[in-house]
Amino acid sequence: MINLKNISKVYRTKTIETTALNKIDLQVAKGEFLSIMGPSGCGKSTLLNIIGLLDQPSGGELSIDGETTSNYKGKSLSKFRNEKLGFIFQSFHLIPDLNIIDNVEVPLLYRKINAKQRKEMAAKALESVGLANRKKHFPNQLSGGQKQRVAIARAIVGNPEIILADEPTGNLDSHMGDEVMNILSNLNKDNKTTIIMVTHDERMAKKTDRLIRLYDGSQVA
Amino acid sequence: MIKHILKLLWNKRRSNALLVIEILLSFIVLFFALAYIFFNTEKAFSPIGFDTENRWMIALDDLSNLDSLNRVEIMTNLKSELLNTEEIEEVTFTTYAYPFSNSNARNGTDLNGFQMTALIVEADSEFNKTLNPNIIEGRWFNEEDYNSSTPPIIVNKLFMETYYPNHSMIDSTILFDDPVKIIGVVEDYRYQGEFSEKKNIVFRLKHFHENTSCVVLKMANNTNAAFEEKLSKIVNSTTNTTGSIIQNVPKLKEQNSQQSWLMIMAILFTCTFLCLNISLGLFGVLWYNINKRKSEIGLRQALGASGFDISKQFVLEVIVLAGIALLFGIFFTIQIPLLNVIDIESDLFYKAIIYATLIILTLVFLCSIIPSIQAANVTPANSLHED
Ligand SMILES: Nc1ncnc2c1ncn2[C@@H]1O[C@H](COP(=O)(O)OP(=O)(O)OP(=O)(O)O)[C@@H](O)[C@H]1O
Ligand SMILES: [Mg+2]
Repeated sequence: MINLKNISKVYRTKTIETTALNKIDLQVAKGEFLSIMGPSGCGKSTLLNIIGLLDQPSGGELSIDGETTSNYKGKSLSKFRNEKLGFIFQSFHLIPDLNIIDNVEVPLLYRKINAKQRKEMAAKALESVGLANRKKHFPNQLSGGQKQRVAIARAIVGNPEIILADEPTGNLDSHMGDEVMNILSNLNKDNKTTIIMVTHDERMAKKTDRLIRLYDGSQVA
Repeated sequence: MIKHILKLLWNKRRSNALLVIEILLSFIVLFFALAYIFFNTEKAFSPIGFDTENRWMIALDDLSNLDSLNRVEIMTNLKSELLNTEEIEEVTFTTYAYPFSNSNARNGTDLNGFQMTALIVEADSEFNKTLNPNIIEGRWFNEEDYNSSTPPIIVNKLFMETYYPNHSMIDSTILFDDPVKIIGVVEDYRYQGEFSEKKNIVFRLKHFHENTSCVVLKMANNTNAAFEEKLSKIVNSTTNTTGSIIQNVPKLKEQNSQQSWLMIMAILFTCTFLCLNISLGLFGVLWYNINKRKSEIGLRQALGASGFDISKQFVLEVIVLAGIALLFGIFFTIQIPLLNVIDIESDLFYKAIIYATLIILTLVFLCSIIPSIQAANVTPANSLHED
């Protein structure tokens, strides 16, 4: 369902030109759990951002569900991100001024869903990551693992088909990392959610369906 | 969305409180400044009630030590000399209540516990020809009135509205110290100047020769300043004095208003400066906030917010804060007309509240729109990176 053809990304500043991605070809099937590994700076986040339509490739073509993504612009782009994609980041990116349930609700604000229904959906998502009793806490009152579980709840609250996770366990100790990994695995199994995950941890990567490796912007395995 | 914004603002209430206070204080200052300006310009733009163009004035030297026979003779001479001069069209004699004078005499009367007060103006039968007051009912004094058994008076519109609203009193006798008969109503005679308050006025008829302090002249068009010297000679020789002063009424009017206009200009300038200050302050705070919240903006975009959603959020945040400040501001300022703290028509304060509110809202909207549009242009990949 996700199809990358010859995807390149070049960052240009006044003095230097960095090739972050070099002619990547990749297919990800529906319901697949894919992990991406590679040394720092090899282009993993760049690749994930391009798949998540947060960034545009400098060359090549990306299609999702048979639709060329460069056709999405403005409102349709936002709608696509909102309905099809869920993001999880290494540094959680929770909004510090909102409590947990309000944080989880944010993606639903950009859909036409009434407040009561939003609350219910957010509560359900929190329950599924085991944080039903922390709704009124603020992000700074939670541990790293709990924060990441909130971020997962936020990613899944709108039932996306694809979850993009950039080092979701990167800031967590191995125990909390395992917890987060289990939640993702279950999502993949139970809901058939397609998951693409960047990781530095071989152990985590082993738990996924497929592993690809990047080196200096190119796919090496 | 509004609820979401209220939550965000409430959870950041400490830093937002400063912005609210800034807007609140600006509103209050703006309110007082506008009230002052409205109060004064309203007076300045309502009619003073008499003509000043081509009018001259002679402040006569002291004639009080003359005996009455002598005075009548001198004054009669002076009047006919003046009227015989080609450049002079009309002449009227009055006392302290001459155009742009500072003095006043108040009179009050208590009739069955009914208190009437008014400024007294002593005038002769020629007053209307010279100063052209707008007579809205009845007539001006004439020669026969000097012999009337009940002294005639003329009052202004405000006097009627205050004491006899809704019915005509022409030819009615009222008790104002003594029984007097109202024979006419003029629109107004705000001789104390354009910025003077509207006051009740009662004109009393007096023979010109009793009004020895001031002569007002209606001059022919194009009389030049050189005539002043000739006029001075006529006055001095007929009155045997040297201390009379000739003045140009339009000039007096200008001098009389100058200070008030200056004050209004100063306040207008201060207001503009204040608005500029508010704008720059708001703009700076917003710009800073939006830069600080770049990763939040990127995140919201990743979660499905469109550029419009982002701009809308930031504009709404500021509008809501301004709304809170304005609610407080209106609550405080509206006490002034409600409790009658200052004895001025309350409409003026309501008007000031409405204008101050509109000005603040416009400024806030304009100042939030540019940073908010800028916020929508944040690219999600970059801003999520910055941490
Ligand atoms: N906005 C940018 N401007 C210029 N160069 C960039 C930008 N973002 C990334 N790069 C460069 O592109 C290359 C790939 O970056 P990317 O963030 O994808 O690496 P990564 O594999 O995710 O690394 P890490 O494991 O450290 O997160 C790096 O050399 C980086 O310096
Ligand atoms: Mg990375």
